[in-house]
Amino acid sequence: MTGPANGREPGGNGAGDGAGNGAAAGVRPLLTVEHLTMRFGGLVAIDDVSFQAADRKITAIIGPNGAGKTTVFNCLTGFYKPTVGRLTLELEGRGPIFLERMEGFRIASRARIARTFQNIRLFPKMTLLENLVVAQHNKLMRASGYTVRGLFGFGYRREEEKAVEQARYWLEQIGLVDRADDDADSLPYGDQRRLEIARAMCTEPVLLCLDEPAAGLNPRESADLNDLLTFIRNEHRIGILLIEHDMSVVMQISDHIVVLDYGKKISDGDPEFVRQDPAVIRAYLGEEEEEDLPDIVKQDLLADGAGGAGAPS
Amino acid sequence: MAATIPHAGRPVDRRGILIELGGTALVVFALTISLVGFHIKDISGGITLDLRIVDVVSAVAIALVVRGWMILMRHGYYRVVTISAGAVAAILVVSLLFGGAGVQFYMPFKAKLLQWLLAILSTGFAIGAALRMARDGRTAVAEDDGAASDKQVALMDRVGAQVQRNALWIGGFLFAAAACFPFMPGVNLQYLDIGVLVLTYIMLGWGLNIVVGLAGLLDLGYVAFYAVGAYSFALFASPDSPLLQELGLTEGISFWLCLPFAGLMAALAGVALGFPVLRLRGDYLAIVTLGFGEMIRVTLLNFYSLTKGPDGISKIPPPSLLGYSTESKMDEETLENTTEFHTAMGWEFDQADTTVLLYFVILAMALATNFFTVRIRKLPVGRAWEALREDEIACRSLGINPTNTKLTAFGLGAMFGGFAGSFFATRQTFVSPESFTFIESAVILAIVVLGGFGSQIGVVVAAFLLIGLPEIFRELQEYRMLFFGGSMVLIMLWRPAGLLAHREPTIRMHRRKARGGRAEAGGAA
Repeated sequence: MTGPANGREPGGNGAGDGAGNGAAAGVRPLLTVEHLTMRFGGLVAIDDVSFQAADRKITAIIGPNGAGKTTVFNCLTGFYKPTVGRLTLELEGRGPIFLERMEGFRIASRARIARTFQNIRLFPKMTLLENLVVAQHNKLMRASGYTVRGLFGFGYRREEEKAVEQARYWLEQIGLVDRADDDADSLPYGDQRRLEIARAMCTEPVLLCLDEPAAGLNPRESADLNDLLTFIRNEHRIGILLIEHDMSVVMQISDHIVVLDYGKKISDGDPEFVRQDPAVIRAYLGEEEEEDLPDIVKQDLLADGAGGAGAPS
Repeated sequence: MAATIPHAGRPVDRRGILIELGGTALVVFALTISLVGFHIKDISGGITLDLRIVDVVSAVAIALVVRGWMILMRHGYYRVVTISAGAVAAILVVSLLFGGAGVQFYMPFKAKLLQWLLAILSTGFAIGAALRMARDGRTAVAEDDGAASDKQVALMDRVGAQVQRNALWIGGFLFAAAACFPFMPGVNLQYLDIGVLVLTYIMLGWGLNIVVGLAGLLDLGYVAFYAVGAYSFALFASPDSPLLQELGLTEGISFWLCLPFAGLMAALAGVALGFPVLRLRGDYLAIVTLGFGEMIRVTLLNFYSLTKGPDGISKIPPPSLLGYSTESKMDEETLENTTEFHTAMGWEFDQADTTVLLYFVILAMALATNFFTVRIRKLPVGRAWEALREDEIACRSLGINPTNTKLTAFGLGAMFGGFAGSFFATRQTFVSPESFTFIESAVILAIVVLGGFGSQIGVVVAAFLLIGLPEIFRELQEYRMLFFGGSMVLIMLWRPAGLLAHREPTIRMHRRKARGGRAEAGGAA
């Protein structure tokens, strides 16, 4: 939403949000998903799912493999057209935007929803800086007069410098300024993940959708990721929607968790509530175990079991 | 070719060698008998078929010897190769230099150039084998072989990177050379014509580079836009055109007015093709564009009332200069109404003048294409093209409209094809559908691929190799195509990404000289 290019100092007034905990109740909803259903032929991938994601909060979508989490994302970001349902984005000062009617790239450019992908999708043979500058395409297109003015070089250079400043800011956040001119595919895996998040942030989104950002990261990288996401929420004051299997990430940073299983929503609430929800425990651990295990073990199992479920089979 | 599976350490496999030799002989025989063996001669009273069996046999024999040397090298018999190749080279060079006409009779080929090439080839083998022999004797060959070819690839990578970095100097030098070319001593009309031809293909290559190199859309029908440009131009420029006659005009419209119009028409054709095929990718896109290229040609062939079909449109005038005509042959009536450039300047008319003018026109047009491409690559749309080539889905997630972005690439690439087409029309003074066959598309694409996707100087080098050399070596006759094919195969084996494939970033955060320091910092982080 903001970078130094906009002249707004990050770190100014994020204090009020740090205390945010518990459900989305009472906070302005940014994204409202109502009765979302997605069918592929006879297969119902998502079945009547409704939830809200609050502004300036981290909302996590969890669930076992094949629960339909990525399908929700693909519907949200326009890669699929939902069979049934309404997806509404509410922005301050603007009316509601109905995402289910928009083309994918418009969702990114007009509704300003940015996303990352489960399997990283950088521009591998372009440099880090180029990756981040391409993300500011629409702004720069306008600045270059849709190429016509840019060809003759009027007034474009300053905008480009601003774009580079914005890119530098995000490279600083992910600690890769030194490698700005290296090809993106030369980065180690964890850095690629963070670069993808930085690239999404360069589009100045109001809602950031992350599809398994911690997949394949080691514990230290996971911790870095937590810091980055908390930073984005607190300093840039945008909503984050997150699919994640890594429970250490989910439980630590989420303000609100939605649990899906076989395309249906089975639980919805703050981390503490979801952790103890019998329906969630059943989905992750099966029916019997809950009878004879003490609570504390159950909680641990939940965390482990969910982590295990995240491992690709 | 030399980098096949290494056999060192294993006992010599006689049967394998025989099979290899036999296979080589068979391939060369099949190629030469079809390309060279049957030579159609146009003699008075009809056509006869000239069977040139001697040439075929000598080609097969030479291939056998060369392949034999390669096998011997692989097995480490460097001494044998050094001596035999050296002997062959010595005999060839001595007889070529000092032998009279009598010696020529015993030579394998009639063309002198081929024999020189043969001499160079065997010298190369002799030197290569001698070097290896001096280095490491008969053992430990195979793994060395691999390392050496690796080193070579790395070297070419470095060359590619250096060329891209110093593009400004190299480009400036090439431009200066190109600008001086017509006035150099020893440059005759034939060389000037080749220069014009090469420049046309350079321009086409640069135009196609926008579509294929930058946007990554494989276009096998680029010649369609070339044709649209040529015909749009011809229809308005030639007094012979059915369109102008229909409109009641007896005179063609000036080159400088028709040129932008032709470019516009080609761009429109590009956008029109782009719309339906945008959702296709890779092979499918290639097939559709291929079909489009043929469609345009067939339409031109059959739309007789507009294009005069196979008869073509003739009498296309050369470009005017400062309002004066530069035509050489004019009928009396037209001559009275127009002033010719040479008359205005008080020069004697010289046939070469028109060619020089054409040369500079195409040089300017090609340079404009180059400047445009280099500039647009650093603009948002150019970066979006490259990003689209890398990952279309990621582009959509960043709010880039893939449809519009691809359309601009298609349209702009087509526009330059159209400009080149109008130049082609004015140069030939005649257009007909047979100039716009698939092979033209293939050659232009080959130039782009060979030069290295996205490399501007690579296109220049490749155009010289593919267009210039075959024209200069016309005396090789049918062997040209053999060399053409052979060198393409070699280059694809050696450098599959193209000769000068290297991508220079469009924007930098750090200065380049800090590279070493940056690498260290990256390693420490």
